[in-house]
Amino acid sequence: MDRALRRKIANYIFIGLCIIGTAIALGALALILWSLFSQGIGGMNLKIFTMDTPAAGSEGGLRNAIVGSILMCGVGMIIAVVIGILAGTWLAEIGGDTAYGHVVRFLNDVLLSAPSILIGLFVYELLVFKSNPLSLGHFSGWAGAISLAILATPIVTRTTEDILNLQPNALREAGMALGASQFTTIRTIIWKAAGSGLLTGGLLGFARISGETAPLLFTALGNQFYNGDLSQPMASLPVTMFNFALTPYADLNKLAWAGALLVAVAVLAVNILGRWLARDKNSH
Amino acid sequence: MTDTTSPDFQSVITPPPADSLVLEVKKLNFFYGQNQALYDVNLPVKKNAITALIGPSGCGKSTLLRIINRIYDLYPGQRAEGVIDFEGENIIGPNVDLVALRARIGMVFQKPTPFPMSIYDNVAFGVRLHSSKSKSELDEIVETSLRRAALWEEVKDKLTKSGLGLSGGQQQRLCVARGIAVNPEILLLDEPASALDPISTAKLEDTLEELKTDYTIVIVTHNLQQAARLSDYTGFMFLGKMIEFGPTEELFVKPKVDKTGEYIGGRFG
Repeated sequence: MDRALRRKIANYIFIGLCIIGTAIALGALALILWSLFSQGIGGMNLKIFTMDTPAAGSEGGLRNAIVGSILMCGVGMIIAVVIGILAGTWLAEIGGDTAYGHVVRFLNDVLLSAPSILIGLFVYELLVFKSNPLSLGHFSGWAGAISLAILATPIVTRTTEDILNLQPNALREAGMALGASQFTTIRTIIWKAAGSGLLTGGLLGFARISGETAPLLFTALGNQFYNGDLSQPMASLPVTMFNFALTPYADLNKLAWAGALLVAVAVLAVNILGRWLARDKNSH
Repeated sequence: MTDTTSPDFQSVITPPPADSLVLEVKKLNFFYGQNQALYDVNLPVKKNAITALIGPSGCGKSTLLRIINRIYDLYPGQRAEGVIDFEGENIIGPNVDLVALRARIGMVFQKPTPFPMSIYDNVAFGVRLHSSKSKSELDEIVETSLRRAALWEEVKDKLTKSGLGLSGGQQQRLCVARGIAVNPEILLLDEPASALDPISTAKLEDTLEELKTDYTIVIVTHNLQQAARLSDYTGFMFLGKMIEFGPTEELFVKPKVDKTGEYIGGRFG
């Protein structure tokens, strides 16, 4: 076989393998979305938003879990975004090249891939278990929010650093050349230039924590009743889904599917909203 | 600890009259970490004139420019030794107020660097840093600066639009407007036309020509014609040294150093 033909065949095989790999990945995603949609849509109705989680056999919805998830994810994201953006900015703009900076970056990467159940156990030890002086002594929404914050912070930190590193040095120099301090340059120029990237970091963090179950099991626990008080045990969509999916009752299973669909739709909606807010305002 | 291992060239300086100087670089040495980039450089800068710096890539002309407003301070490991006398003060000394210095010595970079904000805010940025002006005063400064940068007519109806939406040439003139809005005494330009098309370049050169009545301009350029057209004084640098400095016409027509003639004649570079 001559060389050119062999190369051609190798090329086709390689492209074929790439297409098969892509098809498998996309196929799996389509199947997941399809089963989520087909099973979840049946349980969707207004009661989901107006009634709390029921006992088996009675009517109910997911209101307490929805409110709990929004509260804990919301508080968790506020903490994660504030700490993550400041830490990422420090790594990219100020101390990233120092020995301390390398240690911080390494630890952040470790935290990035830490199993979420470990984070849950850590927060349980810190804020739930009785013997600790910081602890509330019982399961609470705060403990849930903080474990979610710990999960999202390294993601926001990492993306912030990456995005800021992409900003041209010329922009920093131009700010300084006009007599701006480093703080002013970062705040008014660099953060602004990196805006949509910073938002992406936040969205990635939100997408990660919105479906987390394990860390909430040990911290917020769950609550059958409506509760808007973060210092009390709090229901959440993932934990409710987990509990209801394990029961043998068809109506609770249905609610679990509806909850799963709700989480997926919420992540999608927040992503679209974020991209719309950060859309390129400079194009005309 | 000055390292003088660079190849030895004579350095011939024909300075402007001493009382017309606004800034003077004396025996400046500069280091990027262990590497020395400038060797005993001298540069007299005449007030309200255009001084051009020419030389092959890597000769140190941009480095020299970046020392004059201390942009190199952003990078640890870079250091300067010697004197840059700016109205009696050595601006590479230890106790210099960099914010005040950079308000007095502005800089425009090689690539246009509009900030991600409106055209108006771009120009007002530096002014807001250094003083609190009323809205009408600020409006006036913005308009004057844009007019002087020959950009006003093109942007007066879209001041609230983002500066990133302008063309490359307009962006560079926006950066000039932003630089002169804070009313600096000296404006440093680092190859400001290298990313521009010929028409934009011509407009920028007209702008600079007009600005020199009020400002002192130091421009680094790769374009010899540009230096010859624009400048009153020219410095030729090579391998980190100031080889020859003098009135532009003399330097281009009758260079005193052979190396200068070779470079201008296009025999290397």
